[in-house]
Amino acid sequence: MDALLEQIINGLMMGSIYVLVALGMVLIYGVMQVVNFAHGVLFTVGGYLAYFFYTRLFPSYPLAVLLSMGSLGIIGFALERGVFRPLAGNLRNQVIASLGLILAIENLVVAIWGPNALQFRVSATDVLVPVGELRFSVQHLAIIGITLAMVAALGVFLKYTRFGTAIRATSQSREAAMVVGIPVERVHWSSFAIGTALAALGGALIGPLFLVFPQMGDAPLVKGLAAILLGGMGSVPGAVAGGMILGVVESVSTLFLPTDYRDSIAFVVMVAILLVRPQGLFGRRMRGED
Amino acid sequence: MARIAPWLALLVLLTALYAMPHFAAGQPYVLHLLILSMLYAIPAVGLNLMLGYVGLVSLGHMAFAGFGAYVAAVLMVDVKIGFWSALALATLASGAAGAAIGVVCLRFRSHFFMIVTLAFGLMLYSVMNNWDSVTRGAAGFAGIPRPAPIAVGGESFPFGPLDHFYLLVLSAAVLVFALQRLVVHSDFGRILAAIRQDERLARARGVNALLYKTAVFALGSAIAGFGGVLQVSFLRVAAPASFSLAESINMVLIVIVGGAGTLSGPALGALLFVGLPEYLRAAQEWRLVVFGVLLVAITLFAPRGLAGVAADLWRRISSRRAQAAS
Amino acid sequence: MKKSIAASALGALALVCAGTAWAQNKVTLGIVTSLSGQMAAPGVFQMNGFRLAEEELNSGGGISVGGRKYPVELKVYDTRANPSEGASAMQRLATVDKVPIVLGELSSGVAAAIAPIAQDYSVPFILTVPTGPNLTEENNPYVFRVNANNLQLNRALSDFLAKQGWSPIAFIAWNNDAGRGGVNGMRELLPAAKNGYVGYFNVGEVDFSSHISNIRNSKTQAVMLFMDEEPGSLAIKQIRDAGLKVHLIGTLAMGSDRFLKRLDAQKLDGMVQYNAFPPNASAPRIKAFSQRYKAKFGEEAHGFAAQSYDGLMVAAEAMQKAGTVTDGKAIREALTKIEHQGVIGTIKFDRKGQAHPAVYVTQWCSNGTRRIIYPESAKGACGTG
Repeated sequence: MDALLEQIINGLMMGSIYVLVALGMVLIYGVMQVVNFAHGVLFTVGGYLAYFFYTRLFPSYPLAVLLSMGSLGIIGFALERGVFRPLAGNLRNQVIASLGLILAIENLVVAIWGPNALQFRVSATDVLVPVGELRFSVQHLAIIGITLAMVAALGVFLKYTRFGTAIRATSQSREAAMVVGIPVERVHWSSFAIGTALAALGGALIGPLFLVFPQMGDAPLVKGLAAILLGGMGSVPGAVAGGMILGVVESVSTLFLPTDYRDSIAFVVMVAILLVRPQGLFGRRMRGED
Repeated sequence: MARIAPWLALLVLLTALYAMPHFAAGQPYVLHLLILSMLYAIPAVGLNLMLGYVGLVSLGHMAFAGFGAYVAAVLMVDVKIGFWSALALATLASGAAGAAIGVVCLRFRSHFFMIVTLAFGLMLYSVMNNWDSVTRGAAGFAGIPRPAPIAVGGESFPFGPLDHFYLLVLSAAVLVFALQRLVVHSDFGRILAAIRQDERLARARGVNALLYKTAVFALGSAIAGFGGVLQVSFLRVAAPASFSLAESINMVLIVIVGGAGTLSGPALGALLFVGLPEYLRAAQEWRLVVFGVLLVAITLFAPRGLAGVAADLWRRISSRRAQAAS
Repeated sequence: MKKSIAASALGALALVCAGTAWAQNKVTLGIVTSLSGQMAAPGVFQMNGFRLAEEELNSGGGISVGGRKYPVELKVYDTRANPSEGASAMQRLATVDKVPIVLGELSSGVAAAIAPIAQDYSVPFILTVPTGPNLTEENNPYVFRVNANNLQLNRALSDFLAKQGWSPIAFIAWNNDAGRGGVNGMRELLPAAKNGYVGYFNVGEVDFSSHISNIRNSKTQAVMLFMDEEPGSLAIKQIRDAGLKVHLIGTLAMGSDRFLKRLDAQKLDGMVQYNAFPPNASAPRIKAFSQRYKAKFGEEAHGFAAQSYDGLMVAAEAMQKAGTVTDGKAIREALTKIEHQGVIGTIKFDRKGQAHPAVYVTQWCSNGTRRIIYPESAKGACGTG
């Protein structure tokens, strides 16, 4: 198989994981203009909880994933009401609060489960599927499928359901939404809860593919940030495009550039694209900002 | 009377700090902690000017400290220049790097700006970590010297001993804080405040906002570089881990928790950041959990940071005193 | 601001008083390691080694020095792979806890920040894991290293690999001091590795697909994995899953059976790795240690643990020979002359403070055991590695 084609496929596979991470972040940002830096640790907790439910409660992987998503949804609700709502409008303090959460949660995970990586083996999905000369596990393909399904589901939900429309309205203008009677508070906490549930989904899906360890959310956070930035901060298709592009650039760059600069190269490409199009690929130009 | 009081307090404080080696004789660890606090406070001043006074939340600030540190390391160890010249050159270099990178980052706003500075910070870190031939790579650049002894009143004053180096860092910190005050109270500082309050209005009145923001970004980076050189001279090694994303994030915490946009904020934040984990040492892994929870609590209950809390307390005390007097 | 300075001064004073009271009955040794953060996992192995040595010494009543027995206590500081934390820990150990010796550390960069302070206060600093060669090149008489450094490891490994004739050799390596040091060293020593593909990845990254694709497309015969066991198990799994028929070469960090539990023996079959000691060798000192380790920690002994165990034992012997549990200078003198029979071999420090332990190369067999294949003199059958 052509080396370039191989790397493009690798990039798309990795990129789909970035998309999954970015989806949770883009929803929260779109509605509340909050960059949830704690998204990475919530992803990690999602992985650990799925592992916990699977090994301690009941050996059904889908159930473990759903339970993990539910738990994180509740945590997201609590975070929105307890931390982010009081800090609404204050960008600096939101950033600090997110960072404080990262410290507390990541170290809590270590305190409970220890620093070593845990192996989350789900035998059903360990099977390998050949794609040309490459082989991917069923888990990895399932991730792509689920990510696509989530993107579609999110799109349908936002466009065609009543509450989804309410969410879109609130993201366009909070005041106008209040004027027409949209329950803005409910929109906020449910968006946050959906976002954190998506983070949990990411962790729960990645766990069996690799390992479950305390820093598993750190790199995905940075990639997710880069993806939504590239895609245009509040845009779902943007998050998809951003994640995919990042994944492909990273993989393809290893063909001819020093691999220790792989991350930097992806960033350079991101910045270059943004310099040409500052609002991101799918972002909307805000009036009055330039 | 009220005008003189803060200056008097400052004088007393400075005297106490300069006399610290005497008070802490036999407790070098106290001096060590104070030095570390000041080494954190200096770059924090740079970030405070950017973040506190102009609202630029940079997540890559410590990368500029690293830039200055490594430039000085190469100058001192490979090119064999003395400490003072290396310090000056490295500070200028950091300022120049800040200007160059700032020009790119400042094309973006708020969240975009934050993430782009994060990206640049990571890129600089990669260079520090990967460019083995120059920076000695991930293992660190060891063998960085303390400044050569200077002649003081006919005698030689070396900087190897901890208390001597403490005095050097203290003087550097005083210089940087004095500079901060100068900048904030100058015309330059007033224009920065205007930009922060309403950039469009400032621009309408003829201010080249981009130029001023780039200037403060460069100044902040230069100060960071200055601090970075002192830090690696203290540790006698420059390692990429000292200038990572985690450290840049710590800097943001220090500035905001201390009180962004205040003159004493960077100092208070740095002291808390160094001192609190020391108190929590007994808690081991829970130490960082407690620290994280405290941070969240501070944002919720003391949003203007420690300086804000201190200012509120002072106001309450002085108003009560005024009431009692009447 | 003044209040917190006075408070910390008082706090430090209280600790000093407490420290002096302790010193009368027991000897406190300082340990620096990573208990949290990205290096916490190898830190566990290091601590295990220290704890095993501590337990063993105390079961005999302690270290006997000058006719008295001093129970050993360890004061452990978490440096979190950060040089400033390392410096603070060393400063505290030297001037607040007033320990006579400090041992440990994982990261070369942090050790480089600790070493000058050790010299400032005349406290010997015994390294048990960091492999950066420059640590023993700074003319610091207070730095000693029990484990082999990158130069020694690479020399042994390149010696072995040159005989195998595998060419070209590619790398997948951590982008930190351990990984980069290994790659740079091997490329210098081994012609077959000079132009091989180098795939760096950051600590915490878990996907090696792009590196594996490049390796597949470059006709590589062997792949060297410079990383610890956690990413190592993933890399090997991904390499084997991808169907790559390359020889695998690993590091001593992939040395516990936890590693094997993550992969099945099939995937490891034929992989070679360099090792500080073969846990299943029949030599009595190794056998005794391995058994004690397994009894206490429930798994196979790891090289880091063996090195750390030896480090503490060397420290104890040095204090005995010097006849003091407080005089750092005398203990340092004793260390320069010591010849200690440790688990990893005879430990004798050269002029630069570097010991020269044997470096073994072991190979995994299809039944999940290992055998020694280098040096020639130590060759053995499956099960002895």
